[in-house]
Amino acid sequence: MASIDTAIYVKPPSRASAYLDWLQMLTGAGLIAFMWSHMVLVASVNLGVNVMNFIAHFFEATYMAQVGGPMIGATMLLHFVLAARKIPFTSSEQGSIWRHAKMLHHQDTWMWVVQAVTAMIILIMGSIHMWTVLTDLPITAQKSALRIQGGFWMVFYLILLPMVELHVGIGFYRIGVKWGFVKRDGRKKFKRSENILTAIMIFIGLVTIIRFATLAV
Amino acid sequence: MSRQLKFNIFRYNPQDPASVPHADTFLLEETPSLTLFIALNKLREEQDPSLMFDFACRMAICGSCGMVINGRPGLACRTLTSDLPAEITLMPLPVFKLVGDLSVDTGTWFRATNSKIESWIHTDQEFDPQATEERMENALAESIFELERCIECGCCVASCGTANMREDFVGAFALNRMARFIMDPRDKRKDADYFEVVGTDQGIFGCMGLLACEDVCPRSIPLQDQLGLLRRKMGFIALKSIFKRKG
Repeated sequence: MASIDTAIYVKPPSRASAYLDWLQMLTGAGLIAFMWSHMVLVASVNLGVNVMNFIAHFFEATYMAQVGGPMIGATMLLHFVLAARKIPFTSSEQGSIWRHAKMLHHQDTWMWVVQAVTAMIILIMGSIHMWTVLTDLPITAQKSALRIQGGFWMVFYLILLPMVELHVGIGFYRIGVKWGFVKRDGRKKFKRSENILTAIMIFIGLVTIIRFATLAV
Repeated sequence: MSRQLKFNIFRYNPQDPASVPHADTFLLEETPSLTLFIALNKLREEQDPSLMFDFACRMAICGSCGMVINGRPGLACRTLTSDLPAEITLMPLPVFKLVGDLSVDTGTWFRATNSKIESWIHTDQEFDPQATEERMENALAESIFELERCIECGCCVASCGTANMREDFVGAFALNRMARFIMDPRDKRKDADYFEVVGTDQGIFGCMGLLACEDVCPRSIPLQDQLGLLRRKMGFIALKSIFKRKG
């Protein structure tokens, strides 16, 4: 008997929105954990070239970079597709949210606009970064320093660094308040801590870029 | 020395084909304890009788004087001009249908949304007018009342980024309302019934967590906490159903 897809006419109850929201949150949380660890690992160059080279070697010898790298890339793409369900893509929606944000003078609303804009930049620049690094293994402090000293990549990372840290920091805050982990009483303090953490991460990133730029190779 | 207040007020009458949306400026001497509600009435009496705005109770109970005050949705009756700078911009609440100037039709929106989420107690119990009222624990009654304090002013909806972008989003109002029924033991709806109404992208999963609703609510209803609880509750209902199907 030929089957008829009745859902075209009468939508059955669906749990898809819930599953997609879970996935958006979990991929986001995973990427936040990754980005903060990534920053700490790269910043190891500040402790010494050998420290960074040792850590990089460890991740390659255990194939974590070769396998984990592309997995992080895939997670980023998945997270983008999931979060894009909320991002305005039509010009009328974009106009609405822009006029709304300008009218409201509301920090959390602006933080969301920052998240949506940085998302697009990270999608492109993050992909370029991952491709460049993962197709040119092994990672060494000397190679990274040469890349930064070329000039182009210095500018590239000076843009990508704050984009990622803002997106990740705001995302961390938003997961906390959206899923009820942080209650009304704790919100102000949580937001403040998140902002400080973001500032610290950007600072560590800048120091690391300067370190690469000045490293003798 | 009293201040000279400068009001920039949105003017437009959709009924009048000749009317063009614009801003009018009015000047008013500030008096002690002046609220925006009193100020608007003065402006209408003394300067422009055609100025349209809504009010009824002047004490933050009726919810009809919601408007955008210097960018933020709030109630005109409980906003003192002394808390504002000398230049005050008033606009109607977005999202709702504009009646004219500062007056919007929140009623149609709230009625439609209330029917959409079936905002009433679902019970098969026959009502007996002779029987004594069923008792409820005081703590529970109080926590239900805490959410029941909503006056449907529309500030949460007007301040919501999602509601401004997507017409079908039910807003913090409806999600808070649903949280109230979930708490109420008299409502016989099951988890799956609640999920069907708010476990969607038009419901709690459409909320992006911008929390402007929480920040503007004139009744300080704990919307952030309720939205968080609801998201988790609906999320877990969906997760549980995965295991149920397998079992």
